[in-house]
Amino acid sequence: MGSIDQQLETAPCGYLTFSDDGTIRAVNTTLAAMLGYAPEELCGQRFESLLGAGGRIFYHTHFFPILKLHGAAEEVYLALRTRTGTEIPVLTNGLRRERGGEMVSECIFVRMLQRSKYEDELLHAKRTAEAANDAKAKFLSMMSHELRTPLQAISGYCDLLLQEASGPITSEQQSDLHAMKGASGELVRLLNDILDFARLESATASIQIEIVRVESALRRAEALVAPKLTEANLRYSREGCAAPLYLRANPDRLQQVLLNLLTNAIKFTPLDGTITLQCSADDSCTRLAVRDSGCGIPAQDLERIFEAFVQVDRHRIDARQRGVGLGLAISRELIRAMHGELAVASEVGVGSIFTISLPTAAAPVENAGALR
Amino acid sequence: MSSNVVQRNNVQVFGSGEQPMLFAHGFGCDQNMWRFVAPTFADRYKIVLFDYVGSGKSDLSAYDANRYGSLDGYAQDVLDICEALALRDVIFVGHSVSSVIGVLAANRAPDLFAELVLIGPSASYINDPPNYIGGFDRADIEGLLEMMDKNYLGWASFLAPSVMKNPDHPELSTELEQSFCSTDPKIARRFAQVTFLSDNRSDFSKLTVPTLVMQCSDDTIAPLSAGEFLAREVPHNTFRLLQATGHCPHMSAPAETIEVIEEYLAIPRAA
Repeated sequence: MGSIDQQLETAPCGYLTFSDDGTIRAVNTTLAAMLGYAPEELCGQRFESLLGAGGRIFYHTHFFPILKLHGAAEEVYLALRTRTGTEIPVLTNGLRRERGGEMVSECIFVRMLQRSKYEDELLHAKRTAEAANDAKAKFLSMMSHELRTPLQAISGYCDLLLQEASGPITSEQQSDLHAMKGASGELVRLLNDILDFARLESATASIQIEIVRVESALRRAEALVAPKLTEANLRYSREGCAAPLYLRANPDRLQQVLLNLLTNAIKFTPLDGTITLQCSADDSCTRLAVRDSGCGIPAQDLERIFEAFVQVDRHRIDARQRGVGLGLAISRELIRAMHGELAVASEVGVGSIFTISLPTAAAPVENAGALR
Repeated sequence: MSSNVVQRNNVQVFGSGEQPMLFAHGFGCDQNMWRFVAPTFADRYKIVLFDYVGSGKSDLSAYDANRYGSLDGYAQDVLDICEALALRDVIFVGHSVSSVIGVLAANRAPDLFAELVLIGPSASYINDPPNYIGGFDRADIEGLLEMMDKNYLGWASFLAPSVMKNPDHPELSTELEQSFCSTDPKIARRFAQVTFLSDNRSDFSKLTVPTLVMQCSDDTIAPLSAGEFLAREVPHNTFRLLQATGHCPHMSAPAETIEVIEEYLAIPRAA
């Protein structure tokens, strides 16, 4: 048994050191043999000469800067080129240290043929899934558009018949036409939700974030739900929202989520109930919570309500409460796309509280008047 | 607006001079790459460092796929910083893709810039035979994207924030957690595509700002042919071939990099 240095020569992994200018200073027999060279042929060559074109860019833009700036790099995937030009996938760990009076990067290379194949399959599967998802979104979007046009025509013709444009109608026919119009309205709403959901993935990639004044966002949402609150005879109040608060979000998308939460609260809170909007903030996070005194959600369903097309206990809810079950899925996606979170806490028979958390923004010093 | 840009691009300002030196990092890195070079100039210049949106400690939420779908969006970052800090008479120092970004910025607002210092520049990385050798074909760039995908796949530990060490000068090590590189795989992928697939040869030919082209010896990313194109096409250029090899002389050979920049800046300019 020789010294550790001698054992390193034939250790079951490649070993190589290179200086900052990329010159190979030392290489063990295992690595040289793996690549089809004698060790002395590689010493003095540039490390990047062992890499393909893409690998050379990766070396200069990622691998070397990380070694130089961080002193170490771990679990880096590289493909080393053999003398005959084939590429061997390797996993690399590197460390900078002094060897022979100069700083070098010392690397070990472990061949990863099987693992690399598996990773290629994973990547391929990931890309296929992404493509399928895109196709699904496109299909949903197209289908929704195609269906909406005839539905709107049905609704329009119902109106014409109701206005007796084609002659007088009986009260029974009138009531049937109202039912038809109501049903087509439901379908249009459903399609709009599906369309929203389908758009979400592409839309979240381009959501523009601005500084939003909480007061403006709340006022805008409240104005839209006020008639429904009155109709349902619910008491609405705010808590802790007096201080001027600012957060980072897209004002329209935040509005969409606030409206969804308030409308849900109105739908699921019995007559004479209460809905409270609570605000709180610290340096990093601003929270807007919608609390209702509604029927509550069973603990086992709390996370499911954020899944698309899920509405808890559909058979138990009345028509007023029915929807497609996309609102919360869309809301959570939107909030996450704005680097926030949407969470729920609930107790059956007591009520639910939905909390939007978004990054806090500093109060703007200028252009405050232009903020929405 | 100004404080937003400073936060968005993680702008850092230091130094005791009046004239600003704005250092712009290349693809894959962030402003940390300048730490072997920039401090040397701090006694004479106002040093401005920043991270492009999507890199380093920039505000990732400010990433807009449309804006950064071309290098013009990155040039706008540079102009935004100049405006936010009211910079004038700027010496712009750009590495690699930042050379192109600096040229685009200088063409849009030539009055803001006094000098461009371009380290390892290339007006186009893609070959356009028989007239131009950029060094790469599209398939090579696919190879890079593949390598990035596989490294980002498992969120390799080297991409995660880690403690900044400096084995060359342990006394300079900081225990601060630093994020490094483009930590968002999707953004990094798009930045790679716009960096390596853009052809900006005509933009370099339109430059009016005096320019130092620093070409490395044996640089496989920006080959001599790319440097020669610039030496020939860029008006008012000074071409210097460095002894340093590779593509990152500001990290591998900071002393020579500093010397060449200092020499260039010491040349008296006509008023």
